[in-house]
Amino acid sequence: MGKMYEVSNKYHEYKDYTREFTEVGRSIPRLDGAAKVTGKVQYTDDLVLPRMAYGKILRSPHAHAIIKSIDFSEALKLDGVYDVITGADCPIPYGIVPHNANEHALAVGKVRNWGEGVAAVAARDEATAEKALELIKVEYEVLEAIVDPRESLKRDDLRIHEDAPNNIAYEGVQVYGEPEKALEESDYVLEQEYYSSYVNHAFIEPQSAIADFDNNTGQLHLYATCQVPHYTHQQLSKVMELPMNKIRITVPLIGGGFGGKGVASQADFCSAILSRKIGRPVKITYERSEVFATNNGRHPCYMKFKMGFDKNGKITAVDFNNIMDGGAYAGWGIVVLFYTASMVHIPYMVPNVRFEGKRVYTNKPTCGAHRGLGGVQPRFAMEQMLDQAAAHFGMSPYEIRKLNAAESGYTAKSMMYVPHTEYKKCLDEVVQRSGYLEKHGKLPYGKGIGLSGGYYISGTSYTLYLSYKPHTVATIKIDEENGATVFCGATDIGQGVDTVMAQMAAETLGIKTEDVKVIPRDTQISTFDLGTFASRLTFATGWAIRKAAEKVNAELFPVAASMLQCRGEEIAVKDGMFYSIYEKKKKHVPWSDVVTMYIESNGPLTCTGQFTPPRRKGIQQGGNIGHSPTFGFSAQIAEVDVDLETGKVNVLKITEAGDCGQPINPMSVEGQVHGSIQMGMGQALYEEMKIAPDGKFINPSLHDYKLPTSMDMPEIDATIVEAFDPSAPYGGKESGEGPIQPTAPAIFNAVYDAIGVRFTEMPLTPEKVLNAIKANKAK
Amino acid sequence: MKKQLITLDINDQLYQVAVTPMDILVDVIRKEIGLTGTKKGCGQGDCGACTVLIDGKPQLGCLKLAIACQGKKITTIEGVADPVTGELHPLQKSFLDHGAVQCGFCTPGMILSSKALVDSTPNPSKEEIKRTLAGNTCRCTGYILIFEAIEAYVKARAEGEVK
Amino acid sequence: MNILNEFEYYAPKTKSEALELVKSLGSSAKVLAGGTDLIIMMKEKMIKPEAIIDISNLDELKGIVCKDGQGAEIGACTTIAEIEFSKDLEKKYSALTYAAGELGSNQVRVMATIGGNCCHSSPAAETPTPLSALGAKVVISGLAGERELPMEDFIQGNRKNDLQPGEIVSKFILPEPAKKSACRYGYIGLRNAMEIDAVNMAVNITLEDDGTKIKDVKLVMGSVSPRPLVSELIPGLLKGTELTEELIVKAGEAAQSEAKPITDVRASAEYRRDVVGALARRLVKEAYEAAKEA
Repeated sequence: MGKMYEVSNKYHEYKDYTREFTEVGRSIPRLDGAAKVTGKVQYTDDLVLPRMAYGKILRSPHAHAIIKSIDFSEALKLDGVYDVITGADCPIPYGIVPHNANEHALAVGKVRNWGEGVAAVAARDEATAEKALELIKVEYEVLEAIVDPRESLKRDDLRIHEDAPNNIAYEGVQVYGEPEKALEESDYVLEQEYYSSYVNHAFIEPQSAIADFDNNTGQLHLYATCQVPHYTHQQLSKVMELPMNKIRITVPLIGGGFGGKGVASQADFCSAILSRKIGRPVKITYERSEVFATNNGRHPCYMKFKMGFDKNGKITAVDFNNIMDGGAYAGWGIVVLFYTASMVHIPYMVPNVRFEGKRVYTNKPTCGAHRGLGGVQPRFAMEQMLDQAAAHFGMSPYEIRKLNAAESGYTAKSMMYVPHTEYKKCLDEVVQRSGYLEKHGKLPYGKGIGLSGGYYISGTSYTLYLSYKPHTVATIKIDEENGATVFCGATDIGQGVDTVMAQMAAETLGIKTEDVKVIPRDTQISTFDLGTFASRLTFATGWAIRKAAEKVNAELFPVAASMLQCRGEEIAVKDGMFYSIYEKKKKHVPWSDVVTMYIESNGPLTCTGQFTPPRRKGIQQGGNIGHSPTFGFSAQIAEVDVDLETGKVNVLKITEAGDCGQPINPMSVEGQVHGSIQMGMGQALYEEMKIAPDGKFINPSLHDYKLPTSMDMPEIDATIVEAFDPSAPYGGKESGEGPIQPTAPAIFNAVYDAIGVRFTEMPLTPEKVLNAIKANKAK
Repeated sequence: MKKQLITLDINDQLYQVAVTPMDILVDVIRKEIGLTGTKKGCGQGDCGACTVLIDGKPQLGCLKLAIACQGKKITTIEGVADPVTGELHPLQKSFLDHGAVQCGFCTPGMILSSKALVDSTPNPSKEEIKRTLAGNTCRCTGYILIFEAIEAYVKARAEGEVK
Repeated sequence: MNILNEFEYYAPKTKSEALELVKSLGSSAKVLAGGTDLIIMMKEKMIKPEAIIDISNLDELKGIVCKDGQGAEIGACTTIAEIEFSKDLEKKYSALTYAAGELGSNQVRVMATIGGNCCHSSPAAETPTPLSALGAKVVISGLAGERELPMEDFIQGNRKNDLQPGEIVSKFILPEPAKKSACRYGYIGLRNAMEIDAVNMAVNITLEDDGTKIKDVKLVMGSVSPRPLVSELIPGLLKGTELTEELIVKAGEAAQSEAKPITDVRASAEYRRDVVGALARRLVKEAYEAAKEA
């Protein structure tokens, strides 16, 4: 064991693993929780390094403009200013998808969105840095801004990027089966347009970075709010023209990410460039307006859907045309585009699919990865269309979903393979718990109930650059001084993977979770992990940790057996004790004694495990985006009360049932589900980044970008359905992105049930609802 | 501008710090005094991450002039656990045990807002809890487990199980 | 941006010291009470005062005096939270205590003062609307003495009021509610908390001794005009009547016809006009029912 060819791609040849867990399945409070509730834990902005300078970024007030000149001579004269950099200092472009990297740490030649960085200052303190910004004179030649991708497509005369004709960043077509024919032959075809809105993650901790470049060693040490350190590492290497081994990224604790901290931030690059120039550590922490200016939130989509059904209500085909508003730069764009394509293939069986999509540049802060990326948009459309189809066939929305739902072992037309699903169980559970069938269509005018389903990937199959290396490596060090220490570079962004990793390691090692130490989030100390995205960590780190722990056991078991004077296969380990399964009372020895014996006779013990996802093929265009080792599922029911005089939608209750396989930490799963519902509801009802026609950002604050408050939360009844994914390391899979998928369409379906109006655009503001009610009355 | 020496009473400790009138309380607490448990999420009074207690009542550290806080008793998150043993306040423990903590960034402010409520109200209703926390934005938890943590603490306190 | 402009900080110990400072520093100074509006405006560089006069510690400007039969006096530096939780005020002026409780967040209510909320003179402010409906007077102090103004005359426009150089607001005087009267407050916002109101409104109804006919009515709207808008049509429509469903509808239409809303980031003018009607119908009805019970 241990060589790549022996373990790579073979993870799914699992043994029939025990399902009687001791550590997995425990609702353990966060291991770092005590440090969090006492304020002891340190986030990036809490760190101070000796001689540290403070950086600030000057941002463009224009959405589209040529930079004619930048004069920072006055800023340099200000006492306490160390240096100023501009686009001239960062000529090398970066981007999370390497082959279409077109972003710069600071704008080069031109700004393409409001708030794009044009210069950065390092100074003795923040106040001085901010004063220095006021002394920088930038001369702009303001260009016309385009803020609607449909308009952008027609404006080849006004290219946001010279190399992007018609402002198309990427486009793609996928055809599976014979969608046109299937639609023609369908008994019922629904056609509808939808718009999903422009929202931001709104994590509470703004991005922050501290770069410490040591001129003596040529080493750069970056501390940053970085959800995917590996890709930032690569891009820093490129932009700084430093080999990766000269760069170390340490990620202190992260105050929420939701995808937004997946891309490297301008603070990462600017602090690094400044630090190299001035020979001091430089810290740059964003203000809230900068969080909005650098966005990377969900792509707004203008979607045209056709959905065909046979006479029994079975889906025959889906035709999906998607124009995605990408904002100013490439970012994750291509990935998100093809996720929207793949997301139509599950959780329902769709035999014929046509997708045509364009990701289009506009003069707005760039869109990127946002919890449930690529899924939320088409799900919003399709789950409403299913309700409409159900009405046509005289079925209940529950029935039509059950009829079309995929089951374990399903291979979609795109070759996306579902090793395990309890989606139908999720549907059954929510319908039963909420009394849906008794209420739907039967509530008084103004009150409604709506059902929706959803799913999400639990990892990806490919890296963003060509590579065959494992996606996660975990090393477990066993010694007398520390017990068990797990090294793994996975990034806890608040979801709790540090604790989950400890639980999984403890499970296989047979010790208590609380006795496992996890060393994560440092590219130099922890072992490799690809990053926190695509809900990949439980599955990926789980396999790597289990492999490593099994190797540890393979070393310790014989020692324990000889200490207990029994055969190796008679031995088990649990709760920190090795024992004979036949004579537990008589023959047992503490795990730590076995470790001592092992080390005294054999020397140090360190084992490494790895995970590489299966390299599935079959997705036509877009780098096989959509394949995942497995998938998580969620069904939700929303109950709403619509104020008929003001149009305000009050969500009273959400009933949720999720299939996350075996929950590793049920309390954490519940937290993920609740948080997803809150975010989904926010997008459905309140949140929207508002951009003026000239590209100015109207509401870059939490004052006017409206997040759900404690007063807005509905009652939530969330259940984890009994499930065990045998392809997963401990039977567990994602729970952090699947549950956001159904929330918005469930609310929209409920509003339809309440007032009989179909809405196709998010957010569902009171104004839209009231206008519809008035229009209805007028009829 | 010339700095002047002021005295701030934070968590029953007196700190002498040099400030200008422009210095904002949250910045002084974090940078000058080094108590980084108080967080800054928006700087505009919207998110509540910078909440501290001033004379027992929750206020926004990002909208407060430090110079105006002389002679007042300030409590930050570092002052909630037992000052000698460091043992968690049962309310903190309840947050932990109920999964009311995810990324932890809103947590200090959330706990201080809650603490002011439970200190002044023996038996807050769910509605009172919700109203109290409307100015503390949490993006991870969906709030419900936070309500449960507070309710559980209040119940345990009423039953004499904890202080 | 985070950094405030440079200013001198003054913390007068008495009201007269404060008035001296306000007089001598003139328009270059700003008065700081709770700071929840002022500091944000300074952070956003909307204003750059050269001096700050912090009156938040002046006990002379704080406190609620609310005795049976004698109306109430509320010091300008009384916090919104003190008003929200005042049992005495709630008994007589529940529209005010309710409005106070809907202002901003709990932290903001602990910090903000009623004087600040009125002097900031935002069209969307919560307390001026019920204060006006309740017939409150603003007491303005200067070195020369005091003067009183009805609430609705104090606020003159978006962030404009009648304060003259050298003056501060020192207190609010609320008349004793008439017998058989009730006042109700309501607002429309996107969320259930932390809202800048798209529209707010207060309706104060007094009944004749018969307990059914409307003797007097005052309907005040906020956020639909640069200043609190006292309906001129409503009294003519409702005085002397017994409230009927038809009159309720007409009251809504009357309020709508008077509102002069604008479109901004929070709501369109059309929507504001629509919900003015809804609020007026609800509050007129609620206040009438409550007055009957009074």
